[in-house]
Amino acid sequence: MVKNNQEALTIQEEFANKIKAENRREKLIKWAPVLVLVVLVVFFTIARGSAFASASNFVTILNQWAIPLLVALGLTFVIMIGSIDLSIDGTVGMAGSIAAVLLMNNMNSNNFGVFGIIIAILCSVFVGFLIGVIHVKLKVPSFMVSFAFMNICTGIAYVAYSGTPAKVTDPVFAALPKMSFLGIPLITWIALLMLAICIYIQEFTPFGRHIYAVGTDETIPRSVGVNVDRVKIKVFTLAGFLFGVAGVVGLIREQLGQASIGTGKMFPAQAAVVIGGTSLAGGKGGVINTIIGTLIMTVLENGLNMMGVDSNIKTGIQGVIILVAVILTTKRGSTIISK
Amino acid sequence: MERKLLFSAKNITKSFYGTQALKGVDLEVHEGEVVGLVGENGAGKSTLLKIIIGVQPQTSGEMFMQGKPFAPADPMAANKEGVGMVFQEQSLIVNLSVGQNIFFGHEKDFMKYGVVNWKKMYEDARKVLEEVNCGYINPKKKVIDLNFATRQMVEIAKVVNMTKSEHGDHKCLILLDEPTSVLNEAEVQNLFKEVRKLTAKGHAVVFVSHHLDEVLEISDRIYVYKDGENAGNMDIKDATEEKLYEAMVGHSTTTEYYHLADQRKPEEEVVLETRDMGVSGVFKHCDIKLRKGEILGICGVVGSGKEEICSVVCGDVKPTSGEMYVKGKKVSYSSPAQALQDGILMIPMERHAEGIVRNLSVAENMALSNAPLLSEHGIVLKKKVDEQADRWIKKLRIKTSSKDAELISLSGGNQQKVVFARALASEADIIILNHPTRGVDVGAKEEIYALTREVVAQGKSVILLGDTLDECIGMSNRVIVMKDGLITGEFQADADEKPSQVSLVTLMM
Repeated sequence: MVKNNQEALTIQEEFANKIKAENRREKLIKWAPVLVLVVLVVFFTIARGSAFASASNFVTILNQWAIPLLVALGLTFVIMIGSIDLSIDGTVGMAGSIAAVLLMNNMNSNNFGVFGIIIAILCSVFVGFLIGVIHVKLKVPSFMVSFAFMNICTGIAYVAYSGTPAKVTDPVFAALPKMSFLGIPLITWIALLMLAICIYIQEFTPFGRHIYAVGTDETIPRSVGVNVDRVKIKVFTLAGFLFGVAGVVGLIREQLGQASIGTGKMFPAQAAVVIGGTSLAGGKGGVINTIIGTLIMTVLENGLNMMGVDSNIKTGIQGVIILVAVILTTKRGSTIISK
Repeated sequence: MERKLLFSAKNITKSFYGTQALKGVDLEVHEGEVVGLVGENGAGKSTLLKIIIGVQPQTSGEMFMQGKPFAPADPMAANKEGVGMVFQEQSLIVNLSVGQNIFFGHEKDFMKYGVVNWKKMYEDARKVLEEVNCGYINPKKKVIDLNFATRQMVEIAKVVNMTKSEHGDHKCLILLDEPTSVLNEAEVQNLFKEVRKLTAKGHAVVFVSHHLDEVLEISDRIYVYKDGENAGNMDIKDATEEKLYEAMVGHSTTTEYYHLADQRKPEEEVVLETRDMGVSGVFKHCDIKLRKGEILGICGVVGSGKEEICSVVCGDVKPTSGEMYVKGKKVSYSSPAQALQDGILMIPMERHAEGIVRNLSVAENMALSNAPLLSEHGIVLKKKVDEQADRWIKKLRIKTSSKDAELISLSGGNQQKVVFARALASEADIIILNHPTRGVDVGAKEEIYALTREVVAQGKSVILLGDTLDECIGMSNRVIVMKDGLITGEFQADADEKPSQVSLVTLMM
């Protein structure tokens, strides 16, 4: 009987050790993204010397970081609850296009100023809300709803400017892309402001905690009375808001309101979120991870551009990165701790 | 010492789609009392707990908490009335901190100017942890960094806190469902200390466990459930392990039910052998020999390792130690398909999840494991599939509107017969029956028993995980007992000399 207990103990210890080993592996993986960023910076500095490691390139990178950061922030929350949002390209382009035709532009006599921007963002908020509602209440998988809306929003964008994209002629607006403060471009400040808001939401509100819970196991928050449906809808709505801001920022950069403001924004954002360490399964990671992830993608894009790499090959490289990151971080045959 | 009645459940029944999980059980718990609840798998313990905590309603019967009628619509309502439960499955959110878990869902209580005041929350969390003697746990630590024993204490702290804060200063009822399965002896003693602290304050605890020695150590009174009914209720001073075992097991059923007359002696040839086999953290040192024409039963409670051994034998899981030999040849399987090539097939326990393809027809389901035999030049011939289906429907007396009917339209028993047909058609000769009569009516059960006898008479061999101890003993030539990942006993089960259920249960718990 005593021998039995000793042997049984060893089995429990084995199990405990298995979990400990998994946790150790997790801890290592947590630092991998920072390592990758450092490696990239070193690599490009070596490859392109002072062209890459200069103050002006630093500002360029900051400029290039703004939109990917905004988009990835919205996507982070969606992925944390275990869903996916493929509408990005459409929503971003739609917000930019709508803002363009509402601001003072060369196609019509509108001059809504700030209200134009607000309306454009409200449209993308509404799209996010719809995606959330349809996914949650009608039980349509999120990838399907969001993909449908990607096309719908692109369509709305085209309709907004009916063929010829509007060029913004508002003088204040035209000055925005060149504005900077403390060396950091205005658009990056906008992105950083949103980042601060997202950190606040994630760390200092109950909503932020509930997001982790919903992504881990829906039954737990449900049994405590958390309205899981509402959490999910809020997440998609928040994402819609961030995508809208990204669209407006895109318009600031291009000064031309076309649907293509959004083109190609989703893929690097996906890669950024996953590389940063936010698990596709949900319940893990967060906004801080996305900071590193987006920096990696932006530095990579900047560096590859500088090296003259073909843009299609660039996309291929991004694809490989997503694949490798997901393979490394997916839990295969996880040890379920049910007693 | 006269203790006040805190909670009572009277005549609780619970039916699920025709099966009666609870047939009218009672439970009484007094203030300051620890009530132990024991019974075999399927006796109804977890079902009753889930009803008390409000996860599911009873079909009939009443409950009272502190004299008032008690019928919680969900766990939160139960908490408000002073009932809390630590479930068998982990219910902590691993990427949040201890404090955040304890107060999960109640963050609004700590909001100040739109921001959650974590500092205050962690202070309160520290107080809660100290209440259950866990002041050593840092509330800021993420749950994922804690070991099981600590996580278990956090769960208890969480439940105690939730229940008490909702319920004010009244006495609470805390339900613990198998709380010690992942704890070592020292940790179990720590848990008991906590339980005694709770009861000293007048709260009550219901302790469900299959570790009878622990139940005997901590409880004031013990209830025994069997087959969804009260089978005994004793004061701790009258309770012994033997008495508990006797109460837990049922009467042996008639010999005809298990077709004992057809039980044959197996041959000498060993068709399957495992040597010192183990899966790290699950089971180890398993030496099993299966002979030709034998029905080998394996008994054990959930978590004993019997399920996992079968997963290894049928090729689903790779062992981390030891070896397996099939017909004398050493084997190592990466998938059930490979095992099937050597003639090993398992009929799985979760029929709906792993055994049948609901939207395919009866005929198509039967052909799932032996498509190559029904093909010519790589194309499966419908004619052969249909012929096979007709043959088996007739042979096993499967009740179906037609061989093309969707499998989901058949009754549980007939679905299981189709699964059997698939297994037999595959020409596997080592068949693992994993709870083959689960969810099957009595008539079909008997037919499955007869079928199993026929199958071994033809020279095939069977490993059987029985739904009940009675079934395991009745059907098998030999029975192996497992507990906590180790084989604890082996019994001959000849037709004329079956071992008693008590002798098996003694080694299971």
